[in-house]
Amino acid sequence: MSATTYGWLVLAFPLAGCLISAFGWRVLPGRAAGWIGTAAIALAFLSSIGALVALLDKPVQSRELTSSLYSYASAAGLDIKLGILVDPLSVYMILVVSGVSALIHLYSVAYLASDRGYSRYFSYLNFFVFSMLLLVLAGNFVLLIVGWAFVGFASYALISFWYRRHTATRAGMKAFVINVIGDVGLVFAAFFIFRDLGTFDYLSVFHAAPQHFSTNQGVLIAICLLILVGAFAKSAQLPLHTWLPDAMEGPTPVSALIHAATMVTAGVYLIARTHPLFELAPTAADISAFIGLATLIFAATVALAVTDLKRIIAYSTISQIGYMVVGVSIGAYAAGLFHLMTHAFFKALLFMGAGSVISAMAGTQDIDRMGGLRRALPFTSVLMIVGALALAGFPLTSGFFSKDEILVFASNRGGFYWIFTVGGYLAALLTAFYAFRIIFRVFWGEPVPEARELEGGHLAHAEPANPLTGEPEDTDVGFPGPEHHIAERDRPMWLAMATLGVLSIVGGALQIPGLDHVIETFLRGSFLDSRLYESVPSVLADWEGLAVGGAVALAGIAAAYFVYVARPGTSAALARRFRPVHAFLVNKWYFDELYDAVVYRPAIRIGRFSTGVIERVVVDGIVTATVDAVRGIGVVVRGAQSGFVRAYALLLIGGFAGLGLYFLIVSS
Amino acid sequence: MDITWYVVLSALLFAIGAGGVLIRRSPLVILLCLELMLNASNLALVAFSRAQGNEDGQVFALIVMVVAACEVVVGLGLIVAMFRRRLPLNVDEMRDLRG
Amino acid sequence: MIQILLWLPVAVGLLCFVVPRRAVPALASAGSLVVLGRAIVSVAEFHTGQPGLQQTVNESWIPDLGVRYQLGVDGISVFLVLLTALLWAGATAFSAFRVPERRRIYFFMLGLAETAALGAFLAQDLLLFVLFFDLMLVPFWFLIGTFGGENRIAATTKMIVYTLVGSLLMLVAAIATAVLASDQVGHLSFSLADLRAHTLSTGSQYWIFCFFAAAFLIKMPAVLVHGWLPDAYRAAPLPVLALLSGVLSKVGAYGFLRVALPLYPQATAHFQEAILVIGVASVLYGSVMAFTQTDVRLIAGYSSIAQLGFITIGIFSLRPEGADGAVLQMVNHGLVVAPVFLIVALLWERAGSEDLGRLGGLAMRAPVLATLFLVVTLATLAMPGSANFIGEFYILIGLFQAKIVYALVAGIGVVLAAYYAIRLFQRTMHNRKPEVIDSREIGPLDAAVLIPLVGCIVALALYPGLILTRADPAAADKVDAVNAGSPPSAPPAAPAPSLTSSAAAR
Repeated sequence: MSATTYGWLVLAFPLAGCLISAFGWRVLPGRAAGWIGTAAIALAFLSSIGALVALLDKPVQSRELTSSLYSYASAAGLDIKLGILVDPLSVYMILVVSGVSALIHLYSVAYLASDRGYSRYFSYLNFFVFSMLLLVLAGNFVLLIVGWAFVGFASYALISFWYRRHTATRAGMKAFVINVIGDVGLVFAAFFIFRDLGTFDYLSVFHAAPQHFSTNQGVLIAICLLILVGAFAKSAQLPLHTWLPDAMEGPTPVSALIHAATMVTAGVYLIARTHPLFELAPTAADISAFIGLATLIFAATVALAVTDLKRIIAYSTISQIGYMVVGVSIGAYAAGLFHLMTHAFFKALLFMGAGSVISAMAGTQDIDRMGGLRRALPFTSVLMIVGALALAGFPLTSGFFSKDEILVFASNRGGFYWIFTVGGYLAALLTAFYAFRIIFRVFWGEPVPEARELEGGHLAHAEPANPLTGEPEDTDVGFPGPEHHIAERDRPMWLAMATLGVLSIVGGALQIPGLDHVIETFLRGSFLDSRLYESVPSVLADWEGLAVGGAVALAGIAAAYFVYVARPGTSAALARRFRPVHAFLVNKWYFDELYDAVVYRPAIRIGRFSTGVIERVVVDGIVTATVDAVRGIGVVVRGAQSGFVRAYALLLIGGFAGLGLYFLIVSS
Repeated sequence: MDITWYVVLSALLFAIGAGGVLIRRSPLVILLCLELMLNASNLALVAFSRAQGNEDGQVFALIVMVVAACEVVVGLGLIVAMFRRRLPLNVDEMRDLRG
Repeated sequence: MIQILLWLPVAVGLLCFVVPRRAVPALASAGSLVVLGRAIVSVAEFHTGQPGLQQTVNESWIPDLGVRYQLGVDGISVFLVLLTALLWAGATAFSAFRVPERRRIYFFMLGLAETAALGAFLAQDLLLFVLFFDLMLVPFWFLIGTFGGENRIAATTKMIVYTLVGSLLMLVAAIATAVLASDQVGHLSFSLADLRAHTLSTGSQYWIFCFFAAAFLIKMPAVLVHGWLPDAYRAAPLPVLALLSGVLSKVGAYGFLRVALPLYPQATAHFQEAILVIGVASVLYGSVMAFTQTDVRLIAGYSSIAQLGFITIGIFSLRPEGADGAVLQMVNHGLVVAPVFLIVALLWERAGSEDLGRLGGLAMRAPVLATLFLVVTLATLAMPGSANFIGEFYILIGLFQAKIVYALVAGIGVVLAAYYAIRLFQRTMHNRKPEVIDSREIGPLDAAVLIPLVGCIVALALYPGLILTRADPAAADKVDAVNAGSPPSAPPAAPAPSLTSSAAAR
């Protein structure tokens, strides 16, 4: 079978899984929906491998294959087809997406087993994977936008999965609206592209762009900035990042899949995909890189202060995606995408571990209430340490190889790009610190009561409550199920985490400087037209950078050890001494408050003004004024109808007399 | 035949009748004056018929008398009804049919 | 024949007076389904690719005044006719399952209204069009005034008077057109084809266009002349409201395409910016109002103002893509807003209220209802993947190529739409359930009405090209009439590569 046929199969399996779970929700027994969902994604993964094999059969120059089903909406000069593009970049992405998704599905089979919305969950999750694969495989901008929006919808549906919680529905709304802002940006980028190049098709656009646009032409910068609006909304970069921490309201596997491993990487993918446009507009690419750097540092600082376990990991995601954005913006495509893959592994792993921990803690997510869970959760703790090591970039883990490649590339580009290297290493220090902040806080120290219960073999239970606000919830559909599942007891969770743990460690083997560069070689087929792709640093420079990175990681871990294990009161003391700084960080640099004041409240005020003033005064005013005018005239005319018979008689006689006189005079 | 004085008399009677309709307040008197006006026009009709030499005017005068009779019946009936209900027989007080 | 399509509804309505009382709802529903079938046949028989009229009827009616009984469909109206038949079938069936007190009058009025709406879409003679346009109001006066909620008489009076002001202006303008054109044509004629071939002088065109625009803008309604909407939407019975919002508003937009653009090209080009401003203002104002209302009907109502604003700016982009998008969006909006109102009826039955403050958590034991509502909500906010998105895409890209600033401002409306649509869905279906709410699943009868409607939305989403390709020749023809008649002001169309690929596309 050809690569494109495999491409269609990759899309077909998750869609089929979604529909089966959706329509069969009443008839599917027990965990069947879960297994069907997992099987669908596993089949998609196998098809991705098929596509990979078929693609590798072809010579490097001709690995961009397209296929289209039918003309979806073509009229008046616009030609919009349902078409996919199978090339190294998209095959790489579908492998990562379907692979990690399959593992997360496996994890969810057990994690959500007692939830009454089980089938609905797997239907949505399969739909999400379908949308993400559609986004990545799309061969033209319109289908990209469709996939983009579907992914946004799936994210909304899964964030507000427990829809009786108002915090969840509000978070879902926020995510959705910011996503739509991104959609609109992409739509306008597509408009500009169509106006100047006459087509939406990727290959045509990328071939025509260098001939049609000159470097840094205004329109091109506008296009790239609009693409960035879309990319940053989806990838939660500044200033459109506020939805991601709130998105932690969704079930933990959702956080793992959508908000760590796949959906948020769509922006990175997009910048890599549209690299011909960005390379023609270096100003836009630099803007992108600087925003990535700013996000990178911002998120790392916030992760030092917040106390909700999932939100720390969420800010870590924002920060790491900042790395990837910097990578693909400055031309380190292979490195950036490599980090995308390794990050998917260890971040998903960290979230899975977090799920297990939260289950053990009977729903609490506040790390200040956790401690000493090492003995109660042996497997989970080991795997979370693995994940944290990879996140920190500990030598020889996958994160070690992927993260620092980007920074070395930056320093190799010369000019002002050293800023990225310095900033990157600084953030790496913070990353290592907060990664092990989690580990030491949760797993070291005095065991909390829930941990002791678990050591005694009994899983703690508590009244179901909203983790954010503490309000009690009633356990009907729309809330997590009553049972809690931990990796130590549920085989599917165990298996998924173990696989990711192994991948987090050995995944780096794909791109060891000087030894092999599997990823770089493979992706070259999509970047043949790139001027920056081949300007990789020397092996020596690479190893120098890796060494610095490793040292930074060890320093961060040591610092964390000092603060959280050796001298336990240190973090509280620091918070007290630097109270305003701490408040600033804990409140996420007050972005939410800023948006509330600048965007949300004025909008509501405009709405109230319209209702109160414009509707009442202007619109109804026209009607009321007309009615009053007519009534006024009526009152005046009514005066003549006095009811006096004699007045009527006078009018009659006077009228006749007048008429008679008139005719007499006229006729004489 | 010279009918000048007849027409003058008719006009005089008509004016007196019209004045009565406008000035008097009692419905009965108004009806009387209305009769006066009608008879004045009858006189004018007969006079002109004599001057023309054909009977058209006289025929028309008969018709006017019929109409006058009907109208008097209705008017007197209204006045009797008003009287029976003890309504004031004053045309100025009958004002309910107004705008 | 098209005549059956046109006159069958009122004929069935008259029959409702004759048959026994119990059979009336069944008869009315069956009649509406037959009309729907005939409309589907009409669409199937439609030949794509020609801009002219098909399935025509052309009889002399009032020779002394030059009025002909002329009917026909083209790419623009054939789907509007189908939409009308579909929505009427849905509303009739929905009403049949909740039979009102004075059923004979009710179903007769529904039939009369359907004939009037179909007539407005089919008429090819100016006076015939005006006649049907005004006739549409009569049954709605009765339907709202007799069967509506509180304040119904005042609400419907307001609506009738408001619309009549526009209609009277339109009548004057129509007569003036025929009279002024009779010099060129040789005799008095109201036929649209004749009037189009002999356009008037620019000066006359200006004021005539303004009169027609007034009538159409009031009908849609556009912002500032929408004062009748809140009261009428609050008072009307819900199936009637579905028709009012779904079909009648479209007649206004359709009027622009059928009458204003071809007959008054210079005036259209002259007033393009003014109408664009009104359209964009409608989009923004409607969206802003929609997200602060708490009455569910008004949210849908103001949302309609916004959507009709989009359709207006699509038409007045004076580009073929914009016009195509506008036609598609007309069908889309009707298809989406009718289920919204039917679902509101279901919500009211379960919660006893239409106020967001007293609704919530209905999805709990009603997953099918929630799913249907979710699909409709996503279509309302024009999520990419729905046909509404393609409609808005075409409209905005047309406007973008004509007057870029308006397109950018209108883009804000898209974001606002996402907010108010999801807000409506969440506040009724999600969050905690107030105690008085009875969260029941949708019944089989109601599902039989809603599921096909939602199914049409999904089917159209898979292939919006169905409508786009059939509407394109006719819509492009109308737009070209304007652009040919006036000096080109829009930038040249997209360069060569796209033209060759579009020729290969269909």
